[in-house]
Amino acid sequence: MKKGDIIIISAVAAAFVLSIVLLISFSKQGSRVVIKQDNKIIYNKSINANETVDTGTNTVVIKDGIVYMSDATCKNQVCVNTGKISKKGESIVCLPNKVIVEIE
Amino acid sequence: MSAKQGNCGNRINIKSITLYALFVAVCLIIGYLESLLSISLIAVAPGVKLGLSNAIALTLICRGDTKGAWAVNITRICLSALLFGSPISFLFSLAGGVASTAVACILSKLKSVSAIGISIAGGAVHNIFQCVAATVFVGVGVVYYLPALLIFGALCGAFCGVLVKLVLNKIKINGIF
Ligand SMILES: [Zn+2]
Repeated sequence: MKKGDIIIISAVAAAFVLSIVLLISFSKQGSRVVIKQDNKIIYNKSINANETVDTGTNTVVIKDGIVYMSDATCKNQVCVNTGKISKKGESIVCLPNKVIVEIE
Repeated sequence: MSAKQGNCGNRINIKSITLYALFVAVCLIIGYLESLLSISLIAVAPGVKLGLSNAIALTLICRGDTKGAWAVNITRICLSALLFGSPISFLFSLAGGVASTAVACILSKLKSVSAIGISIAGGAVHNIFQCVAATVFVGVGVVYYLPALLIFGALCGAFCGVLVKLVLNKIKINGIF
């Protein structure tokens, strides 16, 4: 082990800690679920509401702080395939049905 | 084989071409064995590899042959993508490979850094760039694997560094190539 090696190991350790700190500070758990249809807010409740919302075209499941689109009438199914969201700023968009699920 | 024949300046002779080809072949076999192993490593993060084949290029870098290291690494990445990979996995490993080779070459010029330090830095940088490349194709969510990838890359780098040091000592004692 030389002096330079120890500097490199410290730098990697610092980068490791920094990356964790950055990730934690950027990934704040969301608090509210907002569902919009045709640009109108049709739902705005806590993320812990444990409800299933049916917009008529899409089914949104809110369970234990996790939100996902379980069902949709659209052809592309992009919204259903988006998967689960839970962090602030994340969203699920169904363009064909004009439904947007956002976490705030 | 006389010892004086070792380095012929910038001219690439038949001996080094053969040697590089041999190294690439060893890299490919290691890479294939690793891809079999990687199924059990997927718990750490997707796409994680031990990166043992980096030890080969590192051996060349530590002997001062940075050109040879580039040749072996780029050839290895292209061939292993053709044999076992996909276009996307090729771009991932190219991003990681180019970045880590560049860092290793720069650090090898510093007298205060040994093979272990070069390898740790190379491993960490490799995984950082691979992660950044992955965000383009998979999405920003991949960033959450960065801390795990970083520490894993550094640990594997340390392992490779120790390996290279042992190999270099053997080369010195036995006078191979
Ligand atoms: Zn949809």
